[in-house]
Amino acid sequence: MNKYIRSSYLVLCYAFLYVPLFVLITYSFFQAPPQTGFTMQWYQTLWQDPNLLVVAGNSLLVAVVASTLATVFGTLAAVVLRRYRFLGRQVLSNALFSLIIFPDLVLGISLLLWLHLLHFPLGFFTLAIGHITLCLPFVTIMINSRLLDLDSSLFEAGRDLGASEWTILRRIILPLLLPAIIGAWLMCFTLSMDDVIISFFLTGPSFNVLPLYIYSLVRLGVTPEINALCSIIFFVTLILILIAQWRVRIE
Amino acid sequence: MHKDNVFKYLTINSVYLWLILFSICPLTLVVICSFLQHTPDQLFVWKFTLANYKTLLTPIYLKVFWRSLQLAFWVTVLCLIIGYPFAYFLTQLPSKIKGLMALFVIIPFWTSSLLRSYAIITIIQAHGLLNTFLIKIGVIDQPLQLLYTNTAVIIGLVYNLLPFVVLPLFSNMEKLDRRLIDAARDLGANGPTTFLRIILPLTKSGIYSAIMLTFLPAMTLFYIPDLLGGAKSLLLGNVIQTQFLSAENWPLGSALSLTLTVVMSLLLWFYFRSTPRSEREAL
Amino acid sequence: MKRILLAFLLIFSASVFAKQHEILNIYNWGGFLPDTVADEFTKETGIKVRYSTYMSDQDLYAKLAIAYNNSGYDVIFPSVEFLGRMERAGMLEKIDKTKIPNFKNLDPHFVDQAFDPQNNYSVPYLWGSTGLVINRKYYPHLKFDRWHDLWDPVLKDKLLLMDDPRTNFDIALHLLGYSINTQDPKQIKQAYEKLRTLLPNIKLFNMIAPQSIYTNENAVIGVGYSGDTYAAILSNPGLEFIYPNDGVFLWMNSMAIPKNAPNRDNAYKFINFILRPDIAAQIATTLRYSTPNLAAKKLLPKEQRDSRVLYPNAVDLKNSQFETDIGGANELYEQYWQELKMTT
Repeated sequence: MNKYIRSSYLVLCYAFLYVPLFVLITYSFFQAPPQTGFTMQWYQTLWQDPNLLVVAGNSLLVAVVASTLATVFGTLAAVVLRRYRFLGRQVLSNALFSLIIFPDLVLGISLLLWLHLLHFPLGFFTLAIGHITLCLPFVTIMINSRLLDLDSSLFEAGRDLGASEWTILRRIILPLLLPAIIGAWLMCFTLSMDDVIISFFLTGPSFNVLPLYIYSLVRLGVTPEINALCSIIFFVTLILILIAQWRVRIE
Repeated sequence: MHKDNVFKYLTINSVYLWLILFSICPLTLVVICSFLQHTPDQLFVWKFTLANYKTLLTPIYLKVFWRSLQLAFWVTVLCLIIGYPFAYFLTQLPSKIKGLMALFVIIPFWTSSLLRSYAIITIIQAHGLLNTFLIKIGVIDQPLQLLYTNTAVIIGLVYNLLPFVVLPLFSNMEKLDRRLIDAARDLGANGPTTFLRIILPLTKSGIYSAIMLTFLPAMTLFYIPDLLGGAKSLLLGNVIQTQFLSAENWPLGSALSLTLTVVMSLLLWFYFRSTPRSEREAL
Repeated sequence: MKRILLAFLLIFSASVFAKQHEILNIYNWGGFLPDTVADEFTKETGIKVRYSTYMSDQDLYAKLAIAYNNSGYDVIFPSVEFLGRMERAGMLEKIDKTKIPNFKNLDPHFVDQAFDPQNNYSVPYLWGSTGLVINRKYYPHLKFDRWHDLWDPVLKDKLLLMDDPRTNFDIALHLLGYSINTQDPKQIKQAYEKLRTLLPNIKLFNMIAPQSIYTNENAVIGVGYSGDTYAAILSNPGLEFIYPNDGVFLWMNSMAIPKNAPNRDNAYKFINFILRPDIAAQIATTLRYSTPNLAAKKLLPKEQRDSRVLYPNAVDLKNSQFETDIGGANELYEQYWQELKMTT
């Protein structure tokens, strides 16, 4: 009985999450109104639009770089805040947590202003910096919640046995944090792939990213071409996951 | 011991350096800007004033703040109601597929939130999929007016924020010791008691982080609500955007964002103060 | 794993550290320049086009205001309303018209307008108008041809209005008999009071893709832009675009060169290229907006050239005005706009 409730609840939740995605995928195979019927035309236009693929690649690059660095910095920050007492600890902690409340728009504008004062040319690096800053508090909060539940006597035991701080981090803390770290990385990746506002301010003429491209195209109505792109992203992700899963099985 | 110190200072300082360079410095610019004067012709003038903060006390801003707070609150509550059991049931799946299923929670969000919102519009609009379906099976005979209502706004926000509840809860519940639950059952505790006495307290820190990750960002979201709700009522995000981009009153916009940050931090502080010390560390 | 990562980095570093060709950085509204036009420009001149997009004039202005005069963009497409503001802020380069021989192709109606009397800073690109939109399937007989008809109590909770203060204040100011570009606080206040009485009729404000809302009949009556509505009518023939007989508001997007544009010569080549009749016609045909290029108009497909929505006749336009810069009054408009949205 319990099992039955559990599975139906899970099915309902996944349905809620996936119905809009399936709608989007379905529309990528429809002709533009007033015509109706099945078509592959949007995938063809997509293939002939090298610009869109470059832009998608740019987004992927920024998302991977930003979420990886944000996860590293955010995890370090959480560990440092939890384990060490040092000058300005409270300032650091407050700055981190107030970042998540700070509106994206203001973060974007102030970072642009600041990076411009430092003479950073706008492009990949400024964008990555912006996304890392956007993601940092999310990582720290998530890692922190996991750290709170870890038994600190574990660290003491490690130290008593003569392990260095680095060994404690690598051998004890990181393995225990792993699920949270993976979760945090995924969250950052999502934030970065979907961020319009910070991206707008921090990117320059040489580097356009997908969310901006989509946002500005939608002004003229959602084009099925973009739906097609999102479907491709979804299916590629799906295939990659299945391959990874399959290889894990084999090993 | 010496090596340990090097390690400790290296980590502390690298985190520090990053935050100073790319968070504290830009934030300081905003703080400075919020005390500057504004004239219609210039973004800001180098003269000190408190006028921007005074302006914020006018009823219009209090009303906007209250409205955004309410929306963020209800969205967070709904996300928790849906997301908590979701995350819990996920952790009970066989360990082979558990991680995979959690991954599938977030994959729909690797598209653009704008496109997802449009997909939601296609579903709930007057001649949309939901209405067509409900009419066909005879539940209703007039299409439901969902689009451009508060319900639509809440559906859209809950949808977009759900993974930010499920993921932290999932990673937090992962370590939940099954033996404790079994022990409680063996001692004769029923379902609700086990939940209230054992599971809920053990996942508290996960709930806190879920609240922070949804409630705070939800305060300043505006384009999903505008798209689904018809942009008829102002939210904090709209006001901040207007001050910075349309009215070009950066000092007022800065004062508004800073006040928001301070007020929300205080709210959180009070909230966590009412909890035991060990959990207060979460802040 | 490492190998995959390395390959990944190699592929994308190519796009990050791309070698510098002759380039042109265009900053434009999304979808406001057909890809084919950019490709053709590259083919003819060898200049590589890098195309970035923004969502609104406000965004463009903010970005240029911060990265003052060093944004890296060569051609931008502000609307007339923002030209004056950008010029006052010293963001625009003065245009040397001798470098744009095709300037002569432009309709005299659209050059030397009050917002830029000698076209020192702007070259007209596309234009359109704000008018009334109605779906006749839902309102076969409703009288709907003046701005005042928006206030009809029958339309309670029905209207789609633009999510933009100026477009709405235009209507109210005009009905009160004032200039739509007024800076007089008293007149603006009166317009605000007038708009307040319209609130009960409003179903939604929208700025992103209004045509899909009309096409899908999520709103069936309200205000619209001519180009968007022309596209909407093609997918939903029940729709109709009406030039209100008590006045029409025009908008136009121009090409301009930001101060210190890095590739100024290429920018001139591009602007001249855009004004070539065949290219201007290609743009207008693809985007379905109205072109200010007289020579290009002759090359348009017949159904577009003859469309009254895109190219209204003299009677339709007898009361037309351009939205122009309103200087410091802008903030007042925004303030009233916020208050208006607070009362709903």
